Amino acid sequence: MNILTIPLRNLRRKLPRTLLMVAVFSIGVASVTALIDLSKAVGESLEAKLSAYGANILVSPKTETLSVGYGGMALGDVSVDIKYLKEDETLAAIKGIHHKDRLSAVAPKFVVLTRVAEVPVGVVGVDFDQERQIKSHWHAAKGSLPGDPSAIVAGFDAAARLGLAPGSTVAVEGREFTVSGVLGSTGSEDDRLLFADLHALQAAAGKENRVHFVEVAALCSGCPIEEITAQLTAGLPDTDVKAMQQVVKSRMMTVDFVKHLALAVSGVILLTACVMIGLSVFSSVNERKNEIGLLRALGFSKVAVFFLMNLEALVLGAASAVVGYCAGFAASGRLMALLNLGDQAAPAFDPVQFGLTFVAVAVLSSLASLPPALAAARIEPSQALVML
Amino acid sequence: MLVADNIVKAYATDAGNAPALRGVSLRIAAGEFVCIMGRSGSGKSTLLNILSSLLSPDAGQVRYQGRDLAGLSARERDRLRATDFSMVFQMHHLLPYLTAFENVLTPFLSSLRPVSAEKRRKALDCLARVGLAEKADRLPGRLSGGEQQRVAIARALVTQPRVIFADEPTGSLDGDTGRHIMQILAGLNADGMSVVMVSHEPGYAAMAGRVVEIADGLVKAGA
Ligand SMILES: Nc1ncnc2c1ncn2[C@@H]1O[C@H](COP(=O)(O)OP(=O)(O)O)[C@@H](O)[C@H]1O
Ligand SMILES: [Mg+2]
Repeated sequence: MNILTIPLRNLRRKLPRTLLMVAVFSIGVASVTALIDLSKAVGESLEAKLSAYGANILVSPKTETLSVGYGGMALGDVSVDIKYLKEDETLAAIKGIHHKDRLSAVAPKFVVLTRVAEVPVGVVGVDFDQERQIKSHWHAAKGSLPGDPSAIVAGFDAAARLGLAPGSTVAVEGREFTVSGVLGSTGSEDDRLLFADLHALQAAAGKENRVHFVEVAALCSGCPIEEITAQLTAGLPDTDVKAMQQVVKSRMMTVDFVKHLALAVSGVILLTACVMIGLSVFSSVNERKNEIGLLRALGFSKVAVFFLMNLEALVLGAASAVVGYCAGFAASGRLMALLNLGDQAAPAFDPVQFGLTFVAVAVLSSLASLPPALAAARIEPSQALVML
Repeated sequence: MLVADNIVKAYATDAGNAPALRGVSLRIAAGEFVCIMGRSGSGKSTLLNILSSLLSPDAGQVRYQGRDLAGLSARERDRLRATDFSMVFQMHHLLPYLTAFENVLTPFLSSLRPVSAEKRRKALDCLARVGLAEKADRLPGRLSGGEQQRVAIARALVTQPRVIFADEPTGSLDGDTGRHIMQILAGLNADGMSVVMVSHEPGYAAMAGRVVEIADGLVKAGA
């Protein structure tokens, strides 16, 4: 037995009211827990989906263009030299940056212009595994995406124009490729191109270890894209590293919006819960003025009375934190299943997060009970004499 | 030990200031059993509450062991009530959600420090002394008025105070129960505790060592 006995017994005596309070605060804690879990999961899943939508950094050789004019006539820009990037060095440099964990795909490209049945067409050599990380919307309308180096995939329009179907053969740079499939329409320039295995194409063109550019997809909610770009630039002298800001910004904004929204709603819920705790302790103080006066007459100090009322809120808060966290945890699991976020691993019970929630709720409830506890401490011992 | 000097106290009411005490002086020696008597409204409770530090006088001084109560800090007055003074109110004033035993221990529940086994034993002794050992685990709602008052006395005893202040402790009780309460108080006084009580029943007052009579806010006899 100690000072805790008093609030505990009082809460037990008013069990229905106590349960109601705990239920209400628990709902608040549960909503916030679920909301934070959910927004985290939604943010992650959004980010995964968004980065699957395309690359956001382009690594290409530094090309110098020369504006050519003669006699007052602009003749347009001329690329002075078409440089290549060395595949091994470039990829090693990209994969060696500090933020390498944030890179979700590194997709090198080697481009060849050729003619198939006298029709000019671009053939892009790609690393299919990496390419499909960036282009999750790729799917085979006919046939399948290639599995071996001698296979080639045709974009939707290119296939139509060249009359290609799975099984057709195409000669590129003197080498025979077999069409393994035709891509569904993507609405991008991919529709007009052919895609072959990077190394097979390099070999056919006699340009081993050469790539024209590399597309990189970075996940950027935890780090600014500028940092990744800067690290890439540092690792790759003589290359151009361009962040496609538009893509990145909108990506970040979507993810941030979800998180900010969750935070704002959590704030409102917590504020409401605090006000309710405060009001409940206020009413408790008011209806127990005589009791408090009696305790003061028995020698309780102002500090002890303050502590007593604070403890009552703390007990309510602690109970609500436990019940609310568990409920919120269960709810967020159910909600994620409902919202089809099943691809995210089901949230695991995290003792650290639970501890933080517990401490935060305890601190908040004791802060919320500050004004009524101070009011209680101001009650004079002579209040014990007032008979109701 | 306890000295009141020319105490004046008035209450603010709708009809203006209503004087309750108009210059009361009183000395109480250690180990005395004093009964303050007078008609209803004469100022008995006001005097008792000023003596016990629950109220402060408008003028005049209360000295306990030579120290002016008004000169003490709030904390010192709290300590005084926790150690030297104990109060028994007319209405028993128990916490309804604590058992008789826990109510007796309330004076020790003001900190996180657990109540020692010795204090628990003491509380049971006090309950036994007022004849309630076997009802220690009952809530006040399941005790009679007389029993509740005895629990309140046990609570007043548990801190081993020097002075017990009791405001009409028998007021709401029938004759036999009232007499039992008076016997308990007389027994405490026999053990050396000072008792200052208020009563308006001459029968009980006769059991005290000294009777102080007040009327209209002034001492008539016994100071
Ligand atoms: N809190 C109060 N507010 C206003 N008047 C009071 C208050 N307490 C007591 N009085 C008045 O003061 C006078 C003395 O009261 P009290 O000391 O309670 O007398 P007693 O205990 O002898 O009946 C009475 O006239 C009473 O009405
Ligand atoms: Mg009275």
